Amino acid sequence: MGVEFAWKEPPPEDWEARFVALKAALAGGIAGATEMELRRLGSYRLTPTSEVALGRVAQRVWPVRDGLQQLRPFSLGLAGNRTLAHLGAALPAAGLGRGLLMRGVEFPYDSIAAVVSGAMSLESGDLDAVLLQLDDSALFTSLPLLDDEAEGRAVRQALDHLETTVDGLRRRFRAPVLVATVVSALPIAIGSIDGATAGSRVRLIERLNAEVREHARLGRWLLWDLAALAAEVGFSRWRDASRFYTAKMPFAPALAPVAADSLSRMVAAMTGKSGRALILDLDDTLWGGVIGDDGVEGLRLGQGDPEGEAFQAFQSVVLELHRRGVVLAVCSKNTDEVARRAFRTHPEMLLREDHIAVFQANWEDKVANIRAIAQCLRLGEENLVFVDDNPAERARVRQEMPLIKVPEMGCDPALYPELLLGSGFFEHLVLGRDDLLRSQSYRPMTQAAIESRNFEDYDGFLAGLEMRMDIRPFDDIGRNRITQLINKSNQFNLTTRRYNEVEVAAIAADPSALAWQARLSDRFGDHGMIAVVIVRCGDVEWEIDSWLQSCRVLKRGVEQALMTELFAVAGEVGVERIVGRFIPTSRNGLVRRFYDDFGFTPVATEHGGTVRYEAATAKWRPMRTFVAVSHAGS
Amino acid sequence: MTDEVIARIEPLVRSVFDEYGGPVTAALNAHDVEQWDSLGHVQFIVLVEQEFGIRFGMGEIAELKNIGELAALIQRKI
Repeated sequence: MGVEFAWKEPPPEDWEARFVALKAALAGGIAGATEMELRRLGSYRLTPTSEVALGRVAQRVWPVRDGLQQLRPFSLGLAGNRTLAHLGAALPAAGLGRGLLMRGVEFPYDSIAAVVSGAMSLESGDLDAVLLQLDDSALFTSLPLLDDEAEGRAVRQALDHLETTVDGLRRRFRAPVLVATVVSALPIAIGSIDGATAGSRVRLIERLNAEVREHARLGRWLLWDLAALAAEVGFSRWRDASRFYTAKMPFAPALAPVAADSLSRMVAAMTGKSGRALILDLDDTLWGGVIGDDGVEGLRLGQGDPEGEAFQAFQSVVLELHRRGVVLAVCSKNTDEVARRAFRTHPEMLLREDHIAVFQANWEDKVANIRAIAQCLRLGEENLVFVDDNPAERARVRQEMPLIKVPEMGCDPALYPELLLGSGFFEHLVLGRDDLLRSQSYRPMTQAAIESRNFEDYDGFLAGLEMRMDIRPFDDIGRNRITQLINKSNQFNLTTRRYNEVEVAAIAADPSALAWQARLSDRFGDHGMIAVVIVRCGDVEWEIDSWLQSCRVLKRGVEQALMTELFAVAGEVGVERIVGRFIPTSRNGLVRRFYDDFGFTPVATEHGGTVRYEAATAKWRPMRTFVAVSHAGS
Repeated sequence: MTDEVIARIEPLVRSVFDEYGGPVTAALNAHDVEQWDSLGHVQFIVLVEQEFGIRFGMGEIAELKNIGELAALIQRKI
C-alpha cells in the first residue's frame, strides 16, 4: 500500500500460493499452525487487492475466535455520523500482523443517540471498545464571522455533546471509548488566514480538537488523533468528495487500510501488544561505518557530515523512546570491548552505556542473543522490536522468532526515524509516572540479577535490597497502570481475567470488592506498580478474583508480603477462609504451584484444568519477608 | 482489448466477492453476485481505480450496467 507501509516487509513471491493454501486449510477449522500463518500473511506489505482478499478471510475467523491462541480478538464499535463501513471492512486484515483479530461493528447510520438510549440495539455481542468519530457537520452549524464569543460557545457546546455521547456509550457498553479528532470531509479553508478568522470552520475544528486532546490527557477518554493522521497522509489525498456524496464516507476508502492500521496500533497499546523493548544493531544502524574496521574516530556520526547527522538524529529518536519507558538493548556482532568504546568515548554519541539495559556484543548468532535479552528482561517475543540495517539478519530473526517485530530499515539512514516510528510499534496510551520509571528500573534489575549470583545466601541478598512496598486501594491516579497490568500480565497471572478501564473503575467503587495496587522500590530504584490483587469479599469467604504481578521483580518476596497482608485483613474482619483459583493458560506455568506453595488445599478441579483452592484464615502463619510494607487506606 | 481489461479486472472481482465462483465475463453484473452490496461495490471500484491508475467521476459509475461497460469505460480512460 504505497509509501504508508514502507516499514512492512515486502511479500514473498509465494504469498498468493500461501494465501490459497491458508484458505483451504481454514475450511477445515482454525488449527494453531493456520492461525500463525494468518498472522504472518497479514504482516507483509500487501497490494490493495491482496489486502481486501485477506480481510474477507480473516473476517470469517471471527465466529471461532474462542479457540484462538496467537490472535487476540477485539471487537470495536464504530460510532459515526457518516458511513464507516470501509473502515470496518479494513480492520480484520489490519490487526493480524500485530497479533489482533479485529472486528468493526458499525452503528446503523446516524443512530448513536438511539443506540445509547437503548431504543436500538446492535446485533454484535460485547464490544471491547467504541470509536466515536464525528465530523464537523455533526458538531457545528454555520456561525457569524468575527464573533469570538459565539465561537467560544460553539466549541463548548460541541465538547458538551462529545462528553454526553461518550458517557452514554460508556454506560451502554461498559467499554472504553476512543474519541477521534475532527477532520472535515470537504475542503473548508478559503485561505491561509482561516485559522485567524473567528467563526471560521477551520478555527472551530482546531479549538475543539485541542479540547479533545486535553480530555485525553486528563484520562477522560482515549484519543485517536485522526486529524494528525490525515495531516500525515495529506488532506488532499485524505478527502474524497465523490465518495462522500455517493457513499457518505467521510474519508477516502482507498485509505481505509491506513486508518485501520492506525487503529490497530491503538488496540495493540490497549491490549499490551506494543513494543516494550528495542533491540538495536550497532554498525550502520546507530552510526555509519564498522567500528571494528574503522575505529571510533572513523565512524560517521554527528554534526558536519550529512550521514553523521542522520545517524545522530536516529539516536535522538531512540533516546526519546527510552524516555517514554521503552527498554533499550544492544545486539551486535562485535567484540564487546570495541563496541562499548563508542558508547564510552565518542563525543557525538547520544546513547550512553547506562541507557542500555542489556549489552550483547559478541560473535554468536543474533537469534540466540535476542533470546538471552528477552529472558534477561523477562519480556515475551511479541513485545520486542529488533532494528538492524542488514536484511539477512532481519530475515533470519523473523524466520526464527515469528512474533518479534522487525521493521524494514531501507538503505538510507535519513529515513530510519520515519520507518521506525511509522511502524507504530511503540504506540502508547496516556503516559504515567510509572511508564517514565520503567526503562530506568530495568538497569537496577539487571544489575541486581548479576549481583544476585554472587550472594551465597539469598536471604542476605534480599535483606540488602532494602525493599519497600506500598499497598493501596485502586484509585484514579493508578487506574491507567492498573488496567495496563491487568491486560499485559500473562506469566504471573493466576486467572488472566482482563478488565478495561471502566470495569476497573467499577471494581474500585464496589464495596464488596477488595482491590489492591502495590508498588515496590529498593535501594537501586523505584519499580513502580508491580502487583494487582482483586478479591471478592463475602461474609465467611473471600475469593481471589485476580492476582497478577510484574515479572520484573520475581523471587523478591512480593507475593509472600501481599498474601500475609491479605490474611491479616481477612482475619481482622472474621472471614473464615480464602478461596483462590488457578486457571491454566499457555503462558502462566510460572504460577502453577502458587497456591500449593502457600499451603492452600486443592479442593476441586474444574472445566479446562482450573484448580480451586481453599485456606482457613485461622491456620495461616505469617511469612517472613524482606519487604517493609506500608498499607494506605485499609 | 476489452477482454484484456476484463482479465485484469477478474482478480479484483475474486478478491472482493470471494464467494462468487462463476465466470467473470462482460455480461456479469451486481445481481449475479450475492456479496455485491454497497460496501463491496465501493471496495471493488476503488481497487479498479488503483489497478488502472484512474479516477471515476460520480456520474460515470452509476450508469454502468455490467462488467463489459465498466471495461469499456476503463479503456476510454487509460
